[in-house]
Amino acid sequence: MTDFTWLIGGEAGFGIMTTGTVFSKIATRSGYHIFDYVEYPSLIRGGHNAYEVHVSDVDISHLNPTVDVLVCLNKETYDKHKDRLTPKSLVVFDQDEFEIKEDIKKITVPFKKILSDLKGQPVMKNTIALGASIGLLKGNIDELIKMITEQFAKKGENVINFNKQFVQAGFDAINKNYSDSILNYLLKKQGEEKLVLTGNDAFSLGSVIADARVYVAYPMTPSSTVLTDLAAWQEKIGMVVRHAEDEISVINTAIGSSFAGVRSAVGTSGGGFALMVESISFAGITEIPLVVFIASRPGPATGMPTWTEQGDLLFSVFSGHGEFPKIVLAPGDNEEMIELTAKAYNLADIYQMPVIVISDMYLSESHKSVEKSFVDKFIAEYKISRGKLIKDSSNKQKYLRYKVTEDGISERLIPGAPGYFYQANSYEHVEDGHTTEEARSRIDQVDKRARKWTTYLKNDFVTPKIYGDPEKSEIIFVSWGSTKGIVLQAQKLLKAKGTNSAFIHFNHIYPLDREKILSLFKQNKKYVLVENNSWGQFGKLLTMETGIEIKDKILRYDGRPITPEEIIKHL
Amino acid sequence: MSTIQDFSGYNPTWCPGCGDWGIGIAIKQSLVQLGLSPSSVAVVFGIGCSGNMNDFLNAYAIHSLHGRAIPNAIGIKIANHKMPVIAIVGDGDCYGEGGNHLLHACRGNHDITIIVHDNGVYGLTTGQSAPTAQKGFKSKSTPSGILEMPINPLTLTITSGATFVAQSFAGDALHTISMIKAGIEHKGFSVINILQPCVTFNKINTYQYYLQRVYKLDENYQKNDFKTAVQKSLEINEEKFPLGVIYQTEKPSYTDQLPQLSEMTLIEKKRFTEFEKITKLFI
Repeated sequence: MTDFTWLIGGEAGFGIMTTGTVFSKIATRSGYHIFDYVEYPSLIRGGHNAYEVHVSDVDISHLNPTVDVLVCLNKETYDKHKDRLTPKSLVVFDQDEFEIKEDIKKITVPFKKILSDLKGQPVMKNTIALGASIGLLKGNIDELIKMITEQFAKKGENVINFNKQFVQAGFDAINKNYSDSILNYLLKKQGEEKLVLTGNDAFSLGSVIADARVYVAYPMTPSSTVLTDLAAWQEKIGMVVRHAEDEISVINTAIGSSFAGVRSAVGTSGGGFALMVESISFAGITEIPLVVFIASRPGPATGMPTWTEQGDLLFSVFSGHGEFPKIVLAPGDNEEMIELTAKAYNLADIYQMPVIVISDMYLSESHKSVEKSFVDKFIAEYKISRGKLIKDSSNKQKYLRYKVTEDGISERLIPGAPGYFYQANSYEHVEDGHTTEEARSRIDQVDKRARKWTTYLKNDFVTPKIYGDPEKSEIIFVSWGSTKGIVLQAQKLLKAKGTNSAFIHFNHIYPLDREKILSLFKQNKKYVLVENNSWGQFGKLLTMETGIEIKDKILRYDGRPITPEEIIKHL
Repeated sequence: MSTIQDFSGYNPTWCPGCGDWGIGIAIKQSLVQLGLSPSSVAVVFGIGCSGNMNDFLNAYAIHSLHGRAIPNAIGIKIANHKMPVIAIVGDGDCYGEGGNHLLHACRGNHDITIIVHDNGVYGLTTGQSAPTAQKGFKSKSTPSGILEMPINPLTLTITSGATFVAQSFAGDALHTISMIKAGIEHKGFSVINILQPCVTFNKINTYQYYLQRVYKLDENYQKNDFKTAVQKSLEINEEKFPLGVIYQTEKPSYTDQLPQLSEMTLIEKKRFTEFEKITKLFI
């Protein structure tokens, strides 16, 4: 069975990110699954970048504790990651650049000499390293050459050929000097065609599938690649992407376009979302559908911009002044990101309220391979539901935008329909939209809006997924969102030791259906809460909504993702 | 053909003598004269006495948050660029709370019309000073006189990229109508700053004050010359108030420059379904 980790590190600003993605794609094109993860400081130049790719025969979304192949483009990479080496690990570096004293398996590649001989730029060290890595792992060099050709297609034959030399030099260096060390880790095998997506890519793809037509954002790590993805595709897919002056303008532009009748979304991280919250409340009272994507990073304030944390859960759940309904979804991996993003647009339209899709840096910026057949099947089965959106009203005499109804949902007329008009009013209003301060109408509208939650819980709330058999397990993990793959791996490790466990994975986070959730917590077992924050925020929400209290908690809040191993250690 | 009555909602609750009455009538009259109906125009109201027109004017409308009418209007225009979009805002709303949006909307030359009620005070919160109040203006929030310089909305918008900047006076309904009509007909970002007495909270900038200081631009005024316009706009720093189109130029609007909107509006478009074009990027 193939399961290994390749890690490349070097100075920020020298192409480590692109190199890592190319490696991931070579692995998937060779038939494997991947999950990758980047560590980088909030700098463009001068810091240390590390990109690790976990390659496996099976679907994964966790990292290994050890590194099997460490590619060091500088000494810092070795120093920072040597603790993760095993006696079998291979370390690729250039002995002309620095020395390694420890007794480890050294693979020296003359980066410096090759660059000098072929008159290459420093950034091409990556290309040599890729050639060497493919050589060392018996990967498909033709696939790498093909990717280089695709990457530089626009720059012409000369640039392509120039870059190819560096791939070949790295590849040859291994075959010439280290043919005995070559591992069969990347031998091409049969496998399903796969997409290499980050969580942000998955959100973008889900938005395209759902026919979102307006996306507005202000760049903020780690959400920015949704903006850059969709901006790059906008002309092709017929979307308008606006990079507005600030997050307040971002959300209000989207509220305007959604009011006018097109599916609209915004994306940001915690700080940008903080600027948006007055308008979340605005969308709440005006009942304008809106999809809000939050890719969290550790706060407070500027916090640790390029690291991960699930610290904005309660903030998103309780965002906005006043009392109004909203829905919060938290995908656990790319597949769930595609499904729940597309679902979010339906829910926003059906319930005419803000729907928040919450992610974090770990999910948003890591690539995970997704089988293309999964995406194709999802696209084929996905049905757009725009709820009670109408182009003409059945009641010609008096159209009532905020008509009090049993399910809480009123017909929403697309502005421009001849013969009608109405206002979406941020003040409390009567059924036709005019402002009111009258007590009866206020109560009617508050109750009407609240009933949309009741309808949602009845029709669209989905209970958490359960992995393993709670009845046969000693331990039941409770977690939400991006920790999914990590807890699943912890379950596997436990199973290997003979311990059965179950896992309740929440992705429909808020509101929660008390009765349905209570029924999942009836076992007299050890429940363990796993969260990537310091408060155990989901645990608090669970207590508040259902009365369930989980005392045993595994919490991590140093900006790094939780690992399966630390979960095991805790038990 | 629609009538003033078609556009009339609830009876206004403005103070007797308030400049909003004149502006309210002028807006309705302009819409009628342009052949629009409450179903064919989108209006976004800010928060303030001016924004309270939401209940008095019939249209497809958003009564927005304080300061946020402009981005709402931009969003409506992006979704349906064939519909005329107007934002009815106050000076505190547009030059204070929403100042950043105004600047960037000018830069984008979004094809929307901003009608600003400029009375120098926050009427709805009982008379605190607004960003256009003259330096030294005494109010509840500035009992010793405001320390800041007033905003010059004309210079600010002209130099930020607005392609139509006009000024009018609420006491002159006919002139106000002609400015609003010209602004709505202009393709691109249009701003109409309407000088408006607040009879309840502003005892300085009264009808008399304005009548003594406003004058109409003459026929020879070169409204399409940028430097002339900037020069003219600076006169309000000396409390001289030119009325008319201060600046107008033709430039492609924001939506004009989007190839994806060249054939039809976003709401008219068919769903994109060639998903392979996107999925192949990730293989």
